Amino acid sequence: MNRALTVARLQSVAWPSVVGWSWGILASSFLINLAIFATIRDADLEPTTGGLASIYIVMFIACINVITQDFPFAIGLGMSRRSFYLGSVIHFGAQAIGYAGVLYLLSVLEEATGGWGVGLRFFGLPFFLVENPVLRYLAFAIPFLLLGFIGFAIALVFKRWGVNGMLTLGTVALVLFGGAAVLATWQRWWAAIGDWFADQSGGALLVGWPALLTLPLAVASWLIIRRATP
Amino acid sequence: MSPVVVTVADLTKRYGDVTALDGVSFSLGENRIYGLLGRNGAGKTTLMQILTAQQFATSGEVAVFGQHPYENESVLSRISFIKESQTYPSNLRVHHVLRAASLVHPRWNEELAQQLVDDFRLPPRRNVRKLSRGMLSALGIIVGLASRAPLTFFDEPYLGLDAVARQIFYDRLLADFTEHPRTIVLSTHLIDEVSDLIEHVLLIDKGRLLLDVEAEALRGQVLTVAGPVAAVDEFARTGAELHRALLGGTARATVRGDFGPADHDRARALGLDLEASSLQDIVVRLTTATNGSAPSTPGVTRKEVLR
Repeated sequence: MNRALTVARLQSVAWPSVVGWSWGILASSFLINLAIFATIRDADLEPTTGGLASIYIVMFIACINVITQDFPFAIGLGMSRRSFYLGSVIHFGAQAIGYAGVLYLLSVLEEATGGWGVGLRFFGLPFFLVENPVLRYLAFAIPFLLLGFIGFAIALVFKRWGVNGMLTLGTVALVLFGGAAVLATWQRWWAAIGDWFADQSGGALLVGWPALLTLPLAVASWLIIRRATP
Repeated sequence: MSPVVVTVADLTKRYGDVTALDGVSFSLGENRIYGLLGRNGAGKTTLMQILTAQQFATSGEVAVFGQHPYENESVLSRISFIKESQTYPSNLRVHHVLRAASLVHPRWNEELAQQLVDDFRLPPRRNVRKLSRGMLSALGIIVGLASRAPLTFFDEPYLGLDAVARQIFYDRLLADFTEHPRTIVLSTHLIDEVSDLIEHVLLIDKGRLLLDVEAEALRGQVLTVAGPVAAVDEFARTGAELHRALLGGTARATVRGDFGPADHDRARALGLDLEASSLQDIVVRLTTATNGSAPSTPGVTRKEVLR
């Protein structure tokens, strides 16, 4: 466990660049939106900008980098794969917990100020309205984890099996999703699928299902990293 | 022999059709400097990667500090492995890398690290991506020396380093080794430069161990004799001839055998010039003499004629 914490600290030695990228890009996205909304001055619309996605995308890329860059470095320094995996999950999980907290507070602030005074809905998610405060916090946190483990898993497939592994993964995904689409079209299931999504609560779509998907990805990542070479 | 730090038994590693290591067995003692020598692709890096659990063996056994190194924190924390191909996360600066290494290695000595940064004139605030090849090598060397790990591997650590910086490396290595003895494995192509440092030679060729011998003993074992062809023939019969060059009526041969003072006297009596081959010569002769034939077969000869 101590060595796992060492890995977490290892990944934080250049922490300003770790935190800077995520929040720097989010901040610039926010400021641009704020400027546009201040210029338009149409308070009735209250659309969601989608700019919030930027921090999730940055974290997804950061998790790919953890495997492609930090893994060869940490293993080269003499960490075990177990410690590296645990440490990376701790490091990334701590960021997800902290960042979700900040995003939650910003969304509360956004509501209280009537969209920063210009009707801007940047941090709030009207479509998936989640009223329960705990669920609302988790709705910010869990998607981080899902994207992070998708990043870990994909990068690990590349690390362990190289380009051929990625091509195989891509082919399998294409066949599975393509086959499902053909099946749904053939059986005329699309309307039912649409209804199913519409029936899901915001909590289920942003917390429940992502959490359920995260678990097998975490297990798969662990199994792959056990025999991965730097 | 001093306490054993590493034991390797019948180690084999295959990558598809390629056999990188072929039934290698040896052991490393405590607090000694080993030279792991061999040509490119001989299997040196693969061997060190398996000993540090970065690669997986196809078959055979390895024990480091008495245990298997894979996922073994107590073993891994006592190893430092510096390889030429080491990559660093692109957002790190030199001082970040040193900080990271200090977190990982329990015996890290910050004072030594800082002194080496000065010696190698490394810019601490520069991003690792912007370091020259030589500076990257210097960074690896600093990590390897300052970690003071009981088992330290240097895999061709000098790439791009100028002669002065290489001398600094050898001097610092020897000085720190003297004060803080540990087991050091030095894999290198610049054999002449390190021949004074190395106490024990491991020579690998095509995945097989050709030599596992004390450097001092090896020096006496291989002699180069020069003189009339008949006299050289006479002397060469007492050992295995590794190489011969002919020039008119004189020959110059490299001969391996269990030579003692009596043999030296005999060579002189035959009117031959006699000299001990350098470690580099020995390695070159041994690894070229085995082309197309089994290693260490007595009497393997490679002849070339100069006109």
